Amino acid sequence: MSLLTVLLFQSPDRAPRRLALEESILAVLAQEPDIAVAAMPPLYDLTDSNADLASLRALTDPLAALAWLYPRAIHWTLHQRGIKGRVGKTQLDRGGESASPKDQTPKDAADAPARMIWSLDLRDGDTAAMHVAEIQRILQEVRTTEPRSLASPPIQNPKSRIQNPPPSRWYPVIDFARCNHCMECIDFCLFGVYGVDDDAHLVVESPDNCKPGCPACSRVCPENAIFFPMHRAPSIAGAPGAGPDARKLDLSELFGAPAAVQLADDERNAALAGAGKETKPKDDLDKLMDALDDAKL
Amino acid sequence: MMGNFAARFPTDRRYTPNHMWLGAQGTAMRFGLSAYAIRLLREIYFLEWSVDAGATVRQKDEIGAVESSKAVAALYAPADGTITRFNADALADPSAINKDGYGAGWLFEMTGNANDAMEPAEYLRYLETSWTKAQALLKGQAA
Ligand code: SF4
Ligand code: SF4
Repeated sequence: MSLLTVLLFQSPDRAPRRLALEESILAVLAQEPDIAVAAMPPLYDLTDSNADLASLRALTDPLAALAWLYPRAIHWTLHQRGIKGRVGKTQLDRGGESASPKDQTPKDAADAPARMIWSLDLRDGDTAAMHVAEIQRILQEVRTTEPRSLASPPIQNPKSRIQNPPPSRWYPVIDFARCNHCMECIDFCLFGVYGVDDDAHLVVESPDNCKPGCPACSRVCPENAIFFPMHRAPSIAGAPGAGPDARKLDLSELFGAPAAVQLADDERNAALAGAGKETKPKDDLDKLMDALDDAKL
Repeated sequence: MMGNFAARFPTDRRYTPNHMWLGAQGTAMRFGLSAYAIRLLREIYFLEWSVDAGATVRQKDEIGAVESSKAVAALYAPADGTITRFNADALADPSAINKDGYGAGWLFEMTGNANDAMEPAEYLRYLETSWTKAQALLKGQAA
């Protein structure tokens, strides 16, 4: 029985310092009876077919997610994988109040269940103790607001390290607290990454069509709702301070940023030029075969 | 022409179009934010670099970001070259940039050629001519 599920999404790079931090956090949290903790593969690289994701989607209890990504990137990547909830405020992030995902309900509010999700960037604290303390604080918050025991720990995989991380992916993640479904990105992308659902809302329909390294559409979105969590530029990866924040001036152009639209065009053209040379994306038959494999018939 | 802008620009160094100052530091150049940049940003409380020391950069590559009480901004490489060192003190406590932007609040050192760096007088003229654009940016977004 536990009150809080903690997911630790491992680092896609196997840097020893990161491994060590992950191990010690897992070890300490495993001792806490009110916490169900699980080690997960790198969040951004997970595909929808991951078995644990399926059980997590069904779960409606409070969740804390730790990953080597900015908190906004964690929250909305989970959302895109179907694990949705309200943004829990954390206290560890460096940028102060604006560092965590904005405290606002998604515009398609029906989409967000009441459960809380706290997103913690593992880069925000150098010691396991800092992260553990924040998890303890969150646990205390859960105890006082929704002291309800989870029926059973939802995760199948053990608390040990995942040996074979999935291959790395590259696709846009949408902040639906910001997106106004203007569809600029659909018009802009030449690779059919985006689509529209039955409610005329934007969806990232074919994420794996996205060109690795291309962040072009993030620059054309009028709401700055598109980010690429693995991009090296913090402002594109969903950084707290750098992501143009609606409440603050973005002075990047004064500091040498090329006009955004120009940059986006350049990047899109580069992706287009490179597209012919790249290994072709899997065709539909391959995808079907993969799906069959994953279904473990 | 520039509001009540009264920040000063030391004449022992040069200035880049993206509002950084640079001065010789051994074989490298040391960079920091000009008083103009700091004045626009106000209280800086977040600084982050997206490249590591030793990284080779092209001019205008995005290398980091700052956030202040009033604004956010990405930071871009002022020249082609290699970034040799970041100022760990400013990284740990970005308020050093506000306290002593021309001294202890320096940002990084790099080797390379800052071909478009300007003498102070030239930079002042550049500020005058680019002020309209800056104002438009400020007003356009503040609206
Ligand atoms: S451009 Fe931005 S706001 Fe418009 S639909 Fe795409 S993500 Fe949403
Ligand atoms: S990054 Fe490029 S390829 Fe990917 S969705 Fe955006 S425009 Fe399309």
